[in-house]
Amino acid sequence: MENAKNVKKVVAVTVEEHDEVARAFGAALRQEPELLPASLPPQVVIKPNLCDITAWETGVTTDPRWMGVLAREFRAVRPDVRIRVVESDAVSAYKHYRSCDETFERLGWVDAARAEGVELINLSRAETMEIRLKGVPSPVRIPQIFLEEMFFVSIANLKVHGYTRMTGILKNSLGLLADADISALHPYLSATISQMHQLFPPDLCIIDGRIGLEGHGPIMGDAVRMDSLLVGRDALAVDEAACRLMEIPVQEVPYLRRTAKDLGREFGEFEITGELRPRKFAFDRGGGHPAILTKFASRRLHENMAAISNRWIDRAYRFKREPGAFMKSAISKLTRSR
Amino acid sequence: MSTRLGVAVVGAGQVLERYHNPAINGVPEVVRSIVIDADEQRARSAAERFGFPRWSSDPADAPRHADVAIVLVPNGWHAAISCKLLEQGVHVLCEKPMARNVDECLSMIEAARRGRAQLCVGHNRRFRQHFWMAREFLRRRLIGELVSVAAEEGGTQDWPRSAAYFDPAQSGGGALMDVGIHAIDLIRWLAGEFDTVEYRGNGSTEKVESEAEMTFRLANGANGKLLASRDRDLGQKITFTGDSGFIEVGLWETSLRIRVAKGKAFQNAPYLDIAVPRRPPQDASFVEQLRNFVLAVRGEGGLLVDGREGMAVVEVVCRAYAGEKSRALSSAG
Repeated sequence: MENAKNVKKVVAVTVEEHDEVARAFGAALRQEPELLPASLPPQVVIKPNLCDITAWETGVTTDPRWMGVLAREFRAVRPDVRIRVVESDAVSAYKHYRSCDETFERLGWVDAARAEGVELINLSRAETMEIRLKGVPSPVRIPQIFLEEMFFVSIANLKVHGYTRMTGILKNSLGLLADADISALHPYLSATISQMHQLFPPDLCIIDGRIGLEGHGPIMGDAVRMDSLLVGRDALAVDEAACRLMEIPVQEVPYLRRTAKDLGREFGEFEITGELRPRKFAFDRGGGHPAILTKFASRRLHENMAAISNRWIDRAYRFKREPGAFMKSAISKLTRSR
Repeated sequence: MSTRLGVAVVGAGQVLERYHNPAINGVPEVVRSIVIDADEQRARSAAERFGFPRWSSDPADAPRHADVAIVLVPNGWHAAISCKLLEQGVHVLCEKPMARNVDECLSMIEAARRGRAQLCVGHNRRFRQHFWMAREFLRRRLIGELVSVAAEEGGTQDWPRSAAYFDPAQSGGGALMDVGIHAIDLIRWLAGEFDTVEYRGNGSTEKVESEAEMTFRLANGANGKLLASRDRDLGQKITFTGDSGFIEVGLWETSLRIRVAKGKAFQNAPYLDIAVPRRPPQDASFVEQLRNFVLAVRGEGGLLVDGREGMAVVEVVCRAYAGEKSRALSSAG
């Protein structure tokens, strides 16, 4: 699916008329026609950022008009393409459970989907499977839809984030996790995001920066007019471009560092076509930051204790079932370690 | 809760202790009624240990005290005991293999019909969730057309076998009948009927085989090979290979590895492990099996493994044995 020729190009388009989403995206495609492939697989899956029930003009969520814009572009390539928009339930920073179905309904995605013949999928209610991510103590539940062939589109917003500094395409992949409350993953965000990206790399990345969000983020803060659209096929490159736009040093974003390292890449390995008009985003860690660090530390401590307990439970179980085999294995390990 | 079903257990050995007694704890719709074993001492000891109010050495005592019976005796007794219970209207959950041959299986099905009783066969692994997931993936043809199946199961310390396991007359077969039968049932259930089978083993008229190799062709055209052993530690898995991927399911572990050539998740990963074992390892399949049996008895659902399903598996094994080639396998395989 990836095209080596344009994989690290990021197209920046200025969008002064905020109702002209289609025109702005068309301009991006004219600048870089290979953003869309010449042929498509049978389905396209679109992941917007619907992290809260908040209208798009706050800079927090994705504008539902993107669905129609993208559907028309994809159907021009393949008329019978099946288009599905996916998002999962969530627990917001206020610990308020948010049903994805309610979010779709109240933010206008249901009406838009009906008009465009697009399917909406609540991943928290879809068929899922459990996988383990390296460096993350608990297994995560991901939707089975990703076993299928697809062209995958990620649409994110231009936002700061209280403890990851910024959120863009890469962090949007956390919305693919089926569980509503992913706060247990927060101490392991970088490892989780990096591995989620390697498992489900988007084929098309769009950061809708018409309105950005500065302050605390990702749902609290002030909307700021940026009039920008970033489009590319490489998630890390698009997120780096977003950092430039918000004047955030990429090195300050832990999950970007981790992803670049895991991919064996350096920062800055991309080129921007079009005009980028940066503006320094105000960033407020908020009084909650020490509390978050304390929470992370206590979680890590708890999970390390659980890991040690589990290891001894396993040993006791194996010893009870097969004492001979257990002793043989233990002696062999002890001998080896010496 | 409607009236609880009194449960009789016939056979108070290891299978009861390890699997079925914990399963009874997990199904509150049944209540322990009587435990029966040819060895009086063992029956009494099991009754005291597991909380059965009665014990006996005669299976004829079961119908007076129980609505359902779990038959956990050596293979050679499956048909005789199950038929007596079924004819008297006692619903039977019989451990696998259903019987030693197809004739015995038919007699059990006929007894169930006469007694208007449910007959369930203990192919418990069908109740493990990762097999359901694999079945759904195969049904959706996620890995394309099925090309081949490879199964292997065996261990040197997998089960404390009694003398009955080694006697051809009592057991009806060796490694293929008591170890390989799990994979045969699962392959049938997941991928379809067996067409041709060819078997090689190291058994004799005096002793059942400890090594078995069965090559086969399924009705859908896929080829396969099954290795079963009592002497060697094998892979304990079934691999289904399609023309655009594979699914590998653990027979002992709750593991499911998958690759779908064009799947999004496999753009960078060669495969995914998508079933995570819990710790300590627990097997809920016996609970789910008993629950399925109880719901069927109460008319609230159908049996997942009825007599016909149990017999189909025995038929494959018997067909394999009947066509055995003279060349014996060495114990090293």
